[in-house]
Parts: sequence; C-alpha cells; structure tokens
Amino acid sequence: MLKDKMTPMERAIALGKGEKVDRLPCNPNVANGVARIYGCKISEFNTSAKAIANAQIASYRRFGYDGVRIFTDLFPWAEAIGAKVNFPEDNTADLQRPAIDDISKISQLQPADPYKDGRLPMHIEAMKYLLDEVGNEVPCAGGVVGPFTNAFFLIGIERMIKLFFKNPQAVHKLCEVSLETCIRYAQAIIDTGLTPTISEPMSSCTVVSPKHFREFGMPYLKRFVEFINSKGKGVTMHICGKTDKIWEDIVSMGVAGFSIDNVVDLKKCKNQIGDRVKILGHVDPASIMYGGSPKDVRRAVVECVQQAWDSPKGYVIMSGCSLPVETPFENIDAMMDTTREIGYPVNIEKLDRMLRD
Amino acid sequence: MRDLKKSLLQDLANCVVEMEEERVQEVASRYIENKFDALEGINEGLAKGMEQAGQLYEEEEYYIPELLMCSDSMYTGLDTLKPHIVRSEESEKYKAVIGVVEGDTHDIGKNLVKIMMETAGFDVIDLGRDIAPRDFVEKAKEIGAQIICLSTLMTTTMVGMEEVIKILKKENIRDQFKVMVGGGPISQNFADKIGADAYTNSAGEAAKVAKELAWEGTQC
Repeated sequence: MLKDKMTPMERAIALGKGEKVDRLPCNPNVANGVARIYGCKISEFNTSAKAIANAQIASYRRFGYDGVRIFTDLFPWAEAIGAKVNFPEDNTADLQRPAIDDISKISQLQPADPYKDGRLPMHIEAMKYLLDEVGNEVPCAGGVVGPFTNAFFLIGIERMIKLFFKNPQAVHKLCEVSLETCIRYAQAIIDTGLTPTISEPMSSCTVVSPKHFREFGMPYLKRFVEFINSKGKGVTMHICGKTDKIWEDIVSMGVAGFSIDNVVDLKKCKNQIGDRVKILGHVDPASIMYGGSPKDVRRAVVECVQQAWDSPKGYVIMSGCSLPVETPFENIDAMMDTTREIGYPVNIEKLDRMLRD
Repeated sequence: MRDLKKSLLQDLANCVVEMEEERVQEVASRYIENKFDALEGINEGLAKGMEQAGQLYEEEEYYIPELLMCSDSMYTGLDTLKPHIVRSEESEKYKAVIGVVEGDTHDIGKNLVKIMMETAGFDVIDLGRDIAPRDFVEKAKEIGAQIICLSTLMTTTMVGMEEVIKILKKENIRDQFKVMVGGGPISQNFADKIGADAYTNSAGEAAKVAKELAWEGTQC
C-alpha cells in the first residue's frame, strides 16, 4: 500500500486555497461496511453511538480516505417522526411501516427533536466521538436524508406517489414537516462541529419526473440548502440514478458539491455544471467495487479521473453510491492506491499509460 | 357495432395510459354491456394501454409514479372485465407456478402474465414477489406444475433465474418442467444462456407459448 504525504484535512485545506497537494481526494463511501472492518454487527449501530463512531474511525484508519460520515440508513428521521423501522441483525435497517397510513392523520405529525427522538440523539453523540477522535485530521460529516425523500417514508412510497396526482396539498404538508426535521437536525450537526451532507434518492429522475421534482422536491430542498448555507456551511448532495435533466435545478439550489451515480455521464456532468459545483463520483459500487477485481477498480478509477480531474470547481474520486456491505477490502485498497498512484497534478499521459498496463 | 367495439377498446387503452382510474370502470362496464369479449378487452384494450405506458417510460416521458397510476387503472379495468371471461374448454388443465425472483418487488408484468395464463386455461399458483429460487422448485414439485414462470425487472436479480434452472438440474428433474423467463432486462440471448425453455416479451405471448410448451411437455 502506498503512503499518503498529507492528512485528508491538510489536503482539503490546501485544495481550498488552490495550493499544492499530494493527490486527488478520494472517498469510497464505505457506509455500513465499516462494521466488517471494525468487527461488529451492523445492528450495534442501532444502539451504540460508540460503535458507530469507532467503526467509522477504524475504517478511516484502515483505508485513509478523505471523509468520514455518521449515517447508517435512510430512516432515522422518519423513525423519529413515528415510522417503524426493521433492524436486521447484520444488515442495513429498512422501513417497516410509515409514520401514518392515511392523509387524515397528517396533522398529527410533528417535526422531530434531534436531541430527543428515535436514534437521532445517538447519531449526534456519535458525531461528537468522531470529531474528538479524528476531527483534526479528516473532514467529518453528518449525513441527513433530504426533506422530499423523507416525506415518502412518512406516508409510504406508493401512497405518496398517488398524492402527487390526487392531493398535491398533502404532499406539501408532508414535505414541510420533513423540512423542519431536516433543519433542526442540520442545526444540531453544525452545533456539534460537523458539516451536513444530504442524500436525496427519491429526487432521482429514475424515480420521479423532473416536473414532479420541481413541484414537490425542489422547493424544500432549496430551502434546506439555503438554511445550511446561511450557517456558513457548504453542502454536498447525493442523488442516486439518473439526474441529468435536473442538473441545472441542483446547481441553482446553491449546493457546493454534487455526488453522482454511475449511470450518469461523468464527463457530460463536468462540462455542464463543473464550473459551478464540485463533482464527486462515480465508480460503479455494485459491478466494479463489489463484483470486480482490484484490476477492474484501478481501470474504473483511472477512467473517472480522465473524465473529471480538471473540473473547474474540483473533483473527488468517489463511488456512485454507498458501497455494498460485503465489498472486498482489496477493492477499496485498490481504489485508494490508484488515487495515490495517479498523484497530483494529474498527468494525462500517465493515465493513458496506466490503462495500458 | 364493430366500430363501437373498436372505439371502446381504444378507450380502454387510453384510460390506462392517461391514468383515468374512474373512467376506466365506466368504459369497461359499457364494453361488457355490449356483450363484447372480455378477454379481448384485456388483450386489445387494457394490456395495449399498459404497453404504451411502458413505451412512454422507456422514452422518459413517464416515470415510476405515472406507471403506478397506469397500472392502478389497468387493475380497476381488470376487476370489471375478469368475471366475464369465457374460459377455454380444455379437458385437462395445465398448472403453472409464477413469481418475481428474489430481490425484486416489481410485479406489474408478472400479474399481467398470470391473468393471461389463467384466461388461457392454466391453474396458476402465484408465489408473489421477492421469491427465493428454491421456493419456485418446491412449489412446482408440490403441485405437479408443467411450467415455471420467472419474472424480474432488475438486472441485479437476473441470476436468481439461472439458479432455479441449476437447482432443477441438480435434482435431475430439469425435464419435468418448462421454464419461462421474462421482464424488462431479460432477452432471448439471456434465456438461451441460462438454458430457459422460452423467453417472451409480452403477457399475451407468454400465455400462448406456455400453452404450446405445456402441450409439448405432455407429448413426450
């Protein structure tokens, strides 16, 4: 394994100032796979702030990537508002039933208190441990599911979809409760000393049309991003699946970084919006990172860098989405090592050579 | 008369494409009142509409919410038409097991195939969605099915189809069943590769092929 010459924090600061760095930043997005490195069951993340933080720290130390994040699944916020979540012993939590089963109950929904409700206080506590332990060497983030996606989990995905057509007003009410919850949680993240990042899978054009996104998703996401910006923080947003039809909307919200799925054309994304947001992405988490060999990973990383290293607002090598839990360690190593081998500034002839090796 | 039938069929299709859940019921009732063939109403009306909706999805005119609303309209229409289907008079009833393979919960296509097969005279055992390969085999053995139908909409779950065939081979019972595969990412090529007996790309076609296969199966 090659050694880094800078800590992720030194690298991030130097990049921010336009100074010299040793390599591009890289974040494989290990997610709950950190349990495999730390050696605990994923279900321990449901009850122990220490386990969440320690597993993140163990994985960061093992691989040396450029960002750590407290984020275990898509449902803590819906859960804190009243949804029921399934907790398998050693896999990622899943939605069991939404907070309400009928629109007549919408008025019963109250925004969650991050210091009281569900698993949220535990996540905030995990953020403190994380920051104490590694906060001066690596950027620490608190993940939050965006207001639109979270609203689906309050009433159930199918019911929410039908409301688009039958009762738009109800959709807006659900998004409002969701947004207030997101804002409070983001405030708690910031008060703890970390930076919020947003995951918004339901905004994807693989799920809803750009028209519905603009009508129901965008207004709340925009307010959420503006809130975070008003606290002096930039924010990165991840949307899975296809997004090209809403790139301009995403930029107009004022996000600092946009993390893209592997189904998206990275070069096209860079060319279209790279002058206004940092681009993160997009090595295929399933077929390459999980299913491929270290050699496949190396090739995929080089190809990503070829497409986006010169993005005007910056580029971070990342997986297209959270890695599957059982992703082989050697593939994550290969991702980091390829990043180190490429170095910085990027030499395009060297990239060509690496593909021929 | 012919024109009325044609226009009602067209109307049924339109109701599905345009997500008109309330109107589809009216149109289906009118269709039945005029004593038109219910099966044709499904095949040439509702299913055609669903096909068009699928096409619009391919073209990124429609997204998942629109597809869901279309299929709701289709089901509403089906509820009205289905009781009026004249079943084909077969001396022997063939049996089939159908389901969506493990890891996938999309079942619009599977439900359509099931209905078409039932109307073609099959006894269809619907296992539902997210079904383990082993469960298909066990159920098929239990009821003495001639046909196993596997459906998926996701590329990640296609391997489950192959697994069913592997289990059949391992238990030396591969020749007792005909295996049919279908769904968005499936192709003839894929069916050949995993050694399935048939691939079909529409519900109507699936029912037709199933009948041929079941008949073939009883001849040897």
